[in-house]
Amino acid sequence: MSFPRAIPLIFSLLAVLSACRLAAQPTGAKSATASDAYAGSNACRTCHPNVALQFFRNPHNKTGVLANTPVDKAGCEGCHGPGKKHVDTKGGKDSIGAFSQMTPGQALDACLRCHSKDQNRANIRLSNHTQANVVCTSCHSIHQPESNRSLLSKRQADVCYGCHNDVRAQFSLPSKHRVNEGFMTCSDCHNPHGTNAATWKMGRRPHLVDTGLNNEQACMKCHVDKRGPFLYEHAAVRVDGCESCHSPHGSVNARLLKRPVILTVCLECHNGAGSFGRQADGVTTQSASHNMADPRYRNCTTCHVRIHGSNADRTFLR
Amino acid sequence: MRALLQSCRSVQTAGLLLFFCLSDLPAQPVVAPTPQQAGSPRGDNVGDYNITNSWEVGYRFHSVDGNIGKYRSDVNFGNGIRLLGGSLGVHSRDGKGKWFDELLLDVRGLGNDPYQFSSFRAQKNALYRYDLLWRSNEYFNPALTISGGNHFLSTNRQMQDHDLTLLPQSKLRFRMGYSNNSQGGAGLSTGQWFDSRGDEYTFLSNIRRSQREYRVGTDIEWRKVKFSVTRGWEAFKDDTVYGTPTSPAGANINDNNSLSLIRRNEPLRGRTPYWRAHLQAETANVFTVQGKFTHSEGQRNFVYDDFAVGTDRLGGARNRQILLSGTGSRPVITGYLTLIWRPTTKWTLTNQTAYHNTRMNGQGRYSELNNGDAGLSLVSFQDLGIRTLSNTSDAAWQPQKWVGFFGNYQYAERRIRSAEITEFELPARVRPDEQFNRQKAGTGGLRLQPMKPLRISFSAEVGRNDKPFYPTSDKDYHALNARLQYRVAKYNFNTDYRSFTNTNSTSLFVHSSTGRTWSANGGWAPKAGIQFDGGYSYIHLDTLTGLAYFASFDLVERDRSYYLSNLHTIHGGAQFQIRKRVDVYAGYVRTQDRADGRSTAGQSGRPDVLVNPSTLALFTGAQVFPVAYQSPVARVSVVLHRNLRWNAGWQYYDYSERLLRLQDYSAHTGYVSLSYSF
Repeated sequence: MSFPRAIPLIFSLLAVLSACRLAAQPTGAKSATASDAYAGSNACRTCHPNVALQFFRNPHNKTGVLANTPVDKAGCEGCHGPGKKHVDTKGGKDSIGAFSQMTPGQALDACLRCHSKDQNRANIRLSNHTQANVVCTSCHSIHQPESNRSLLSKRQADVCYGCHNDVRAQFSLPSKHRVNEGFMTCSDCHNPHGTNAATWKMGRRPHLVDTGLNNEQACMKCHVDKRGPFLYEHAAVRVDGCESCHSPHGSVNARLLKRPVILTVCLECHNGAGSFGRQADGVTTQSASHNMADPRYRNCTTCHVRIHGSNADRTFLR
Repeated sequence: MRALLQSCRSVQTAGLLLFFCLSDLPAQPVVAPTPQQAGSPRGDNVGDYNITNSWEVGYRFHSVDGNIGKYRSDVNFGNGIRLLGGSLGVHSRDGKGKWFDELLLDVRGLGNDPYQFSSFRAQKNALYRYDLLWRSNEYFNPALTISGGNHFLSTNRQMQDHDLTLLPQSKLRFRMGYSNNSQGGAGLSTGQWFDSRGDEYTFLSNIRRSQREYRVGTDIEWRKVKFSVTRGWEAFKDDTVYGTPTSPAGANINDNNSLSLIRRNEPLRGRTPYWRAHLQAETANVFTVQGKFTHSEGQRNFVYDDFAVGTDRLGGARNRQILLSGTGSRPVITGYLTLIWRPTTKWTLTNQTAYHNTRMNGQGRYSELNNGDAGLSLVSFQDLGIRTLSNTSDAAWQPQKWVGFFGNYQYAERRIRSAEITEFELPARVRPDEQFNRQKAGTGGLRLQPMKPLRISFSAEVGRNDKPFYPTSDKDYHALNARLQYRVAKYNFNTDYRSFTNTNSTSLFVHSSTGRTWSANGGWAPKAGIQFDGGYSYIHLDTLTGLAYFASFDLVERDRSYYLSNLHTIHGGAQFQIRKRVDVYAGYVRTQDRADGRSTAGQSGRPDVLVNPSTLALFTGAQVFPVAYQSPVARVSVVLHRNLRWNAGWQYYDYSERLLRLQDYSAHTGYVSLSYSF
């Protein structure tokens, strides 16, 4: 089956046409959030001084400060909706947009009214988190954040560990990326707001993994010397990704390898079996001079040192 | 006796409660910095600004018994005075500061910790936002189990990212950015000279690599349409220098091969200019269409110069120079089209089509001057092209507030073209190979929320790939996921189960893998200032893969590699605050891979599948790596003054392998510090 090379252009054209069509439509009927139902943020200070007094530190404070912010996106009512009824009825969670009373979908919609402009949230509707009802308020705390930078309720790793306990266990292994040490965070590799399909693999796995420079694995963001391009690519890296040999969160084995010894990492693919590999006739077995009965030959990377890709030798010897 | 039993039961119950108990203590990080901050959280007002800050300066110490290299690989904390942590926040109180409205600075480990981190943000509402992230990592890894420790690395990696956004709250924004990633330090590598059957030599490398990236972009909003475009330039260079002392010894004393001199240089330069464009349009929250397009043109130019003098494995005098130069290129095009339709508040339907095309080309000229023969001149060419087209459809339906269903179907098709040739002269005869594989996968699941604090979800996924690229790739797989979460103010409890089973079979070989994960954790905060948390995680993995290899020139086929890991992890922590003056934390983490339960190097495994009589002893049993790693930690922090705290902490690491104990170590690390707020 063959696809035209112009497919990306077709995609872009379709997107442009759809966007123009949508832009030509009216922006929507006047909703129930009529401006006369708004009470203004000053009214909120009377009953919620503990929130109001500290709110100048909150990134959302700017919505109440900037003069050109639309009333339905400004100050307290920008998130909680019109508050006049709430003031008139002297409080009550039923008369205001209280996030504690919202369904996850409603909370998501409320935040996306402003926060949909960033590319990194473009796929939030189809993310695994959203499917599992893990939405903005599951991780972010607007009024009691651990940090004012991203308003997470806790340190980022603790937010993630709260549900992903098995990942916490992997980061407790001897060989691991330095997340607990504070050198890096989960979001260096993952985009919890949703990602495009990972095209370096076939399926939707792995989940929520962010991409590097141009839809390449997130590993290449830091491990730039492995990026290439090389004269001789190790196809496993490009076709099935770094997880072919490494466990990215943590491992009991050195250098995050999937096996305790090198030779089985290599031999499990290089067994000449079936229709695998570049020539579809099996991934090359080693030659007869590789005597596996001799321990000298069991550390494959002693000789095949440029295993991620080489410019000088097709078998990665130099 | 009955009283004793009852007492035991109550202790067990309390223990179980404590174990599965339920809170929000942080995951056990390294012992320092102290999480409690000095100073008032309300800060101090200076003019129109409010300032909060806390700085922790202290002395970190350690002592190691056992394999120091492995300690440095896993932990790596040393001795010395450090700025263990610090934070500064300056905010304009009316949101109308003259030069800025917000300054945020966070630092960690500055001064010589192996993991250093600093982030800075400055912004003026509606005018600009600047973000800086700087990180440094001292990486030490003897890699004893890889190449016998001859691939040792001791490097420093520093990364910095600068991002400036102009008019961040407007409908027309401008972005600029710069990133730098540099790696330097010492390393060892190995190589062979004169003959691929000759001896292996270890040589030194002075690693010098750096990457720079510049990017500019703009975001435009027009009615309901958002358009974003970014242009970037990435440049990479590697000036690592290799060398070895005169007359290095080879790894095999009986080998006649010898080396009296080597000199190797292989400078590399490359650049990757790229474009990214993103378009999104939304109407009345019902229909959204978005497209994304990226293009990059990666290129690397390289030279390889290797000169060596010595004797070959037959004892003949040899000198050889290899000169190689060439280029590698990798143009990548990616396109996405995503449609999201929300006909009612109960339904969300999405469809995403993705196209990805990468083509890796490399060509080089290889020249070899050798006193042993007339020399060689080769032309090399390689091409690897991967084109992937995938389409994913998702549907989510929530008929009631307490129940929802979701499912998706994905079809992906990939074409891989490959050509690789090494010839003495052009024109090279290139015979491209081409293959297709297709994968279909479906997922279904439901989520329940029978009461507000309780969430339950189940999902299952089945996937089929008609022609995976590798014996260990996903082929016929299924996955199950289940999760239960209960969260109220004082308690939280979370448990989940996941399994992933894959079978990849051909006529002669079978690869199968089974992974199962079960975990539970929770916390309990009975009152302000007291918190407990605990958890358990079980991660099981077993894989069975066909092998073929040579042993003493005999080809051994249809052998098996059986790998088994049973990883158990427990963690627990307790935090107390005494009279709002003293904070005490104690925690414990233990990870143990029990493998197949053995405690000696003797083999065991699955004799039912290991039937090959010529199997090496290495493969007769399960490959296991039983190991235990534990780390208790304790920390105390005392308020001395409104703006001053005294802190001290201790953390112990114990690494213990069950089969070979070459890498075992135990280490005490600790710190004493003062946290101060001005």
